[in-house]
Amino acid sequence: MAVAAKPLPHAHTHATEGPDHRESLMFDPRPRGLMNAWAMEAMHETSWKFWAVAAFLALIVLVFLVGAWAWMIMEGLGLAGVNRPAFWGVFLVNTVFWIGISHAGTFISAILRVLKVEFRRPFTRAAELMTAFGLIQAGFSILMHMGRVWLSYWLLPYPNQRQLWPNFHSPLTWDFLAITTYLLSSLMYLYLPLIPDLAMARDRSSGWRKRLYRILALGFRGTEEEWEHLRKAMTIFAFAIIPVMFSVHTIVSWDFAMATRPGWSSTIFGPYFVIGALHSGMAAVVVVLFFVRRMKHMTYFVRPEHFDALGKLMLVISMAWAYFFFNDYIVQWYGGDKWTRMLLEYHENGPLGWMWMLMLICNVAVPWLLLWNRRVRRTPWLMAIIGILINVGMWLERYVIVPISLTINRMPFTWRQYVPGIEIPLGIGTLALFILLYMLASRLIPLVPIWEVQEGQMVHSLERVGKTYVPVVKELE
Amino acid sequence: MSEKTFLALFSDVNPAAEAIAQLREMGMKDEQMQVISGIPFTAPILGRPHPRTNVPRMAMGGALVGFLLAMFFTIGTPNLYPVYVGGQPLIPVPPSVIATFELTMLGMLLATFLGVFLDSRFPSYRPMEYVPAISDGKIGVLFRCTEEESSRWMDALQKLGAESVSPVEAVQL
Repeated sequence: MAVAAKPLPHAHTHATEGPDHRESLMFDPRPRGLMNAWAMEAMHETSWKFWAVAAFLALIVLVFLVGAWAWMIMEGLGLAGVNRPAFWGVFLVNTVFWIGISHAGTFISAILRVLKVEFRRPFTRAAELMTAFGLIQAGFSILMHMGRVWLSYWLLPYPNQRQLWPNFHSPLTWDFLAITTYLLSSLMYLYLPLIPDLAMARDRSSGWRKRLYRILALGFRGTEEEWEHLRKAMTIFAFAIIPVMFSVHTIVSWDFAMATRPGWSSTIFGPYFVIGALHSGMAAVVVVLFFVRRMKHMTYFVRPEHFDALGKLMLVISMAWAYFFFNDYIVQWYGGDKWTRMLLEYHENGPLGWMWMLMLICNVAVPWLLLWNRRVRRTPWLMAIIGILINVGMWLERYVIVPISLTINRMPFTWRQYVPGIEIPLGIGTLALFILLYMLASRLIPLVPIWEVQEGQMVHSLERVGKTYVPVVKELE
Repeated sequence: MSEKTFLALFSDVNPAAEAIAQLREMGMKDEQMQVISGIPFTAPILGRPHPRTNVPRMAMGGALVGFLLAMFFTIGTPNLYPVYVGGQPLIPVPPSVIATFELTMLGMLLATFLGVFLDSRFPSYRPMEYVPAISDGKIGVLFRCTEEESSRWMDALQKLGAESVSPVEAVQL
């Protein structure tokens, strides 16, 4: 069993049948030093285009996020389009969207780790980073929605000056607890497997980077005890963070489903929201991987096989999303009251009916028509386009659920179509901040967990069965 | 007699595990040795005693603290400061389940994280015996012995496939 994993045996010279396993990262091992060097190079060497894009994004963040938010704070929430009856608009659409995006990190990293799915190894960190940065954008969107952001501490459960003890049974507290738990857990889950790679970066850096990595690596050397503590902790995290992830989006869905509004009062909203979150999150991972592979020259680590595997998952998740959507739809269509039927009619044939239709095209038609095809799944740029389209579809889904559904209620005299105002630049600003944070993080932390890749390569081998060689994965734990 | 620390570097796990077994047969105690590596190897692979970890116990403790905190918030405080609203129950069970679940999980995960720090004695910025080759995939066997004994162990390790065996000083990482 080689540590610096050795090249494959001459499997294919003896047995010509079967695929060439070298196209798989796990069967194409390189010396650890070389992989480390590639990871460090991706952090150190960036072209002028990288900085040009970063500067452009920083400008967008400055104008669209900082500037527009400051303007809204000065002028008031009237700059936003929210008004009776749609008091929830794009800010909350974005909140739900970003929380959804954040689910992919946990899904890919935790569930696939628990199930010991090997293809996850090179991109768990890229997905986990999305969780952290997605939750930051979700937090910003909630604060924007509050308007008087300087009073945001009112959300925190603490005894106030009127000596009212906070009600811990309130749905606002559910949200606060769920999102706080998920954010903290995700950050810890991101950091723990990062420690060995930070130690690797510490060993290969100088100047301010050396000082930074020395602090962040905490003195990690890779002793038996350190690995044992890390391994135990990561196992606990992987199992425990999954129900936390499910709880977050279920609780977000209850913000809607607990109300007795047409279109929202649904017992299936919890799993429907969770599967929607996974749909957008998985698609976002594919988009991120495309750019990581292309801009950071990670073609060795991120290969067509990974897009292929993710494409299959996306197809299955798309089918699950369609199942939940149709289940919710048919019950409301068949058994709903007249207001619910009017709302469904408004969804489909109202002035924004194109959004409803485009949602179905992006979330169902596009993946179903394309992702069954292996060649499509193994073409990174095509997968990135599909990923973007799914995210457009999932954003539209939240738009249909939030402001469009609020337009039709049981008081027709209040009906009014919601038109977003300052929400648009602020939404663009959060998107730009997400991308900017990701780009800056790619300069500071290894996007690929090198030690996990090497560990994976160590446990994979080929075994002769009959006339061919078949992949074998050893169980080391 | 003063003791010194030596580091034997191996590029494969098999000779490293063999060397550890041979050293033990030659009289070196497990406490005198320590293995450092760039990827995790379980104790059975290396033929080493299983390292003790308190992380699962700390996780359970954290979960218990989180659970008790949730009980205090959801059952204790409404009883301490009762506010009846609209004929609703003072302690509704289903919403209490949500707060209890979240706080229990938060307690467990925070304690797990903290457990890694406490068990591994992180952060530790004092000088330690280490070489960067470890993060390049080498397996290091650190052992302590007197200078008089050192040549015996070094010869043995080189015969057992060590790429290099040399005294190692604690350095600032």
